[in-house]
Amino acid sequence: MLLNASRFVFKPLALAACTLTVGCAATQGTPNPSDPWEDSNRTIYEFNDGLDRVVLRPVSEAYAFITPQPIRTCINNVFLNLGEIWSGINSVLQQRQFDAINTMGRFLLNTTFGLGGCFDLASANGQPRIPNDFGVTLGVWGFNSGPYVVLPLLGSSSVRDTFGSVGNLVGNQLNTIGYIPDVGLRNSIWGLEFVARRESLLQISETVDRTALDPYSFIRDAYLQQRQAKVLGPEAAADALPNYENYEDVAADNKALNLPPPPK
Amino acid sequence: MSKGLNMPAFTSIPARLTKFLLLIAISFFAMQSFAQGKPDANASPDTFVKAVSDQALMMLQNDPDVRNQNISRINEIVDMYILPYVDFEKTTRLSAGKYWREATPEQRIALTKAFRQTLARTYSGALSRIDSGTKMDILPFRAEPDAKDVVVRSRVMQSSNTQPIGIDYRLEKTPSGWKIYDINVENIWLIQNYRNQFSQQINSNGIDGLIAALNERNSK
Repeated sequence: MLLNASRFVFKPLALAACTLTVGCAATQGTPNPSDPWEDSNRTIYEFNDGLDRVVLRPVSEAYAFITPQPIRTCINNVFLNLGEIWSGINSVLQQRQFDAINTMGRFLLNTTFGLGGCFDLASANGQPRIPNDFGVTLGVWGFNSGPYVVLPLLGSSSVRDTFGSVGNLVGNQLNTIGYIPDVGLRNSIWGLEFVARRESLLQISETVDRTALDPYSFIRDAYLQQRQAKVLGPEAAADALPNYENYEDVAADNKALNLPPPPK
Repeated sequence: MSKGLNMPAFTSIPARLTKFLLLIAISFFAMQSFAQGKPDANASPDTFVKAVSDQALMMLQNDPDVRNQNISRINEIVDMYILPYVDFEKTTRLSAGKYWREATPEQRIALTKAFRQTLARTYSGALSRIDSGTKMDILPFRAEPDAKDVVVRSRVMQSSNTQPIGIDYRLEKTPSGWKIYDINVENIWLIQNYRNQFSQQINSNGIDGLIAALNERNSK
């Protein structure tokens, strides 16, 4: 009875620990335990990447070409500033009160003296943005990330973060820009936000293109690491360092080398 | 006429000597202050990282070749002002993980070199955007006094009115002082990010295949 109960309790716990411990998932090599749906994910990734190259990237580059950098920064900052409300609410939901207070302080300062968020005065004065969202909130509430998922159009996610995205859509979009009664204006603003966000990532996607051996796994591992760190919070993430030690330990290495060769 | 020329020279020998001695003294002090300005690997980790990055920032800030993403110039600066403070072999070794033991000494050298080149390309974009407005702040540092493996956190403002970027450095205490071996940009550790890609390549094409793949990327 006790044995059964402990198995029932500990197996999910061990699984949770494995997903939550940075490095644990990655040590297996291929196939990656945090990405059991890799084949279908790669298919969707290829589709997204193709669409990005044909439509989104050229549009963002055209936008960057006709808009001077200070104006682009301003526009992007205004959208980020609007998102602070939802970030702050999520900080409250996660009981990260200091983050919530700082985020609200940033929002008030940037909205007023920063002219609607155009100028990020708070960052210049030593209070950087604390990005937060509902996927992180679910993580803080104890929901496991679940397998990695690539969503059509939206890109990297996980099972948990897919649910989080629904919350973000309601909290961050429908409850802000969604209130604009004029449909044409509302959709134009959403279009601009999408392009402005893509534009701000152009340099990163160039770097990934130039340097990643396998862009798919580069982006996946980066995404999982970053989400993990956000759920843990900055202090805990700084303490939860990836443990590379077993790679230097001769016994562990020999054991690893005696493993049957991984499937090709 | 020739007498007129010789005379001042003759009389000013003591003056020249003084000037010469003064120059030696100045250059001596200059050398000493230069030596003090050089990062001290035996100082506390945060002081050391601050000194290394300040020195590299100063070199990168006004270099026109860096602005134009001239890879060979960026490599030169990285070689002179960053690499001496980095245990790059360790970075490569940990990225290769268990496969490092299978690699021959030649493969290890080739892999380290190819990976270094890849990283120079990764960072050349970011380094080329460094300008006079770029600032770096080291965040408050805490560690046990006898710690051998520490993390120094910093925040970099690339230019005005943009979000600061969080950059952390992981250091190990070696017999010759602190050495950086891993770097974290916006919550993404470098070694961890390359590990899966490395093992994927080695699984399908072996270590030589990985070296070839890196070099192929580098030549594009």
